[in-house]
Amino acid sequence: MTRHDDELIALLLGDRRRSPALGRWLGTLEGRRELRAYRRTLEALRQLYGDAGATPRRTVYYCAISTPIGRVFVAASEAGLVRVSFRQSEASFVAELRQRLAADVIRSPARTADIVHQLRAYFAGERRSFDVRLDLRHTTSFQRRVLMAAARVPAGQVVSYGEIARRIGDPRGSRAVGQALGHNPVPIVIPCHRVVAAGGRIGGYTGGLTIKRKLLRLEGAVAAAG
Amino acid sequence: MSRVTQASMSPRPVSLAELTERHRGEIVGYLARLLGDHQEAEDACQEAFMRAHRAFGRLAPDANSRAWLYRIATNTGLNAARRRSHRAARRADVHPDALPADAGPSLERREELRAVRRAVEALPPRQRAALMLRQFQDLGYAEIAATLGGNEDAARANVYQALKKLRAALGRGVR
Repeated sequence: MTRHDDELIALLLGDRRRSPALGRWLGTLEGRRELRAYRRTLEALRQLYGDAGATPRRTVYYCAISTPIGRVFVAASEAGLVRVSFRQSEASFVAELRQRLAADVIRSPARTADIVHQLRAYFAGERRSFDVRLDLRHTTSFQRRVLMAAARVPAGQVVSYGEIARRIGDPRGSRAVGQALGHNPVPIVIPCHRVVAAGGRIGGYTGGLTIKRKLLRLEGAVAAAG
Repeated sequence: MSRVTQASMSPRPVSLAELTERHRGEIVGYLARLLGDHQEAEDACQEAFMRAHRAFGRLAPDANSRAWLYRIATNTGLNAARRRSHRAARRADVHPDALPADAGPSLERREELRAVRRAVEALPPRQRAALMLRQFQDLGYAEIAATLGGNEDAARANVYQALKKLRAALGRGVR
């Protein structure tokens, strides 16, 4: 059986998903050994060089606000907004920030005042768009392209996953777009809820379809919210 | 439509000072990974920012300023590495003490880390740069291509080649 090093590396780096051929190879003795070997290689690399730069640990500031869709958490680094989250406890939000961003996490209404103000105005129906700097360092370049395309959909409108794929000119199509949006680190601010399935169906939403419908109703995109 | 800008790939900042301030930490970290030495990395960063100062006027308004800074840092870093290799005394040999403390007690694991570090130091400079940019600096392949020159496929190939060499350094006896 031929080796599949490139595909295996692509899988481990998150560049590509598992193909059937790779899956079969990973079932063989050789495939299993290579999977272990590459995992250990990446782990060794992380141990040797992960902190080698001694880049100062980042600090992330967060805050919680009450909204019509429940408690919403926001977190921002010095560079910009890093997370918006709901349907999550404060403890798990903070733990996730610590782990995923390798950051010190501090509660600070002062450092998050601007985005909190904008979100309150949004939920009060007084604001239909956000003016904020984002820190998207922890997303892939493909995901950033998808997110920035979604950010251009105005309130009151919806577009399909396929339309976003077309706008960024990506052949991977609507499924990859859906996945990228499903991992949107800053929902609401980047309005992935305005991206729906073809034919006016609502599609999916990581925060739950009830919330997706609520947000669309709030923005007056009633037809798609039904 | 919301006006959101990405800090990581934001449009040209108003001043070079703002740009270097924003990215100094990650650039020093990158140079340390490239050169394997923190003091050399600090020096190279100084030099890179001086070069950036001279070239800032030629930076296109719509250019990706972060990738631009990485390109200058990469050229500076690779030059520094070249100068060092000419200076005969290469202290490339890794002492067991130089391994991170959390390497654990396992002798086998320490051997593995040593092998991987040797393999990293033996990588062609562009492969090492591509690998560090992808794994530690959060650059996508398009940005790596903008940094190192060449296209996205070449950037990806450099990263994959590097990883294959590192994996080969572990040998076949992986349990």
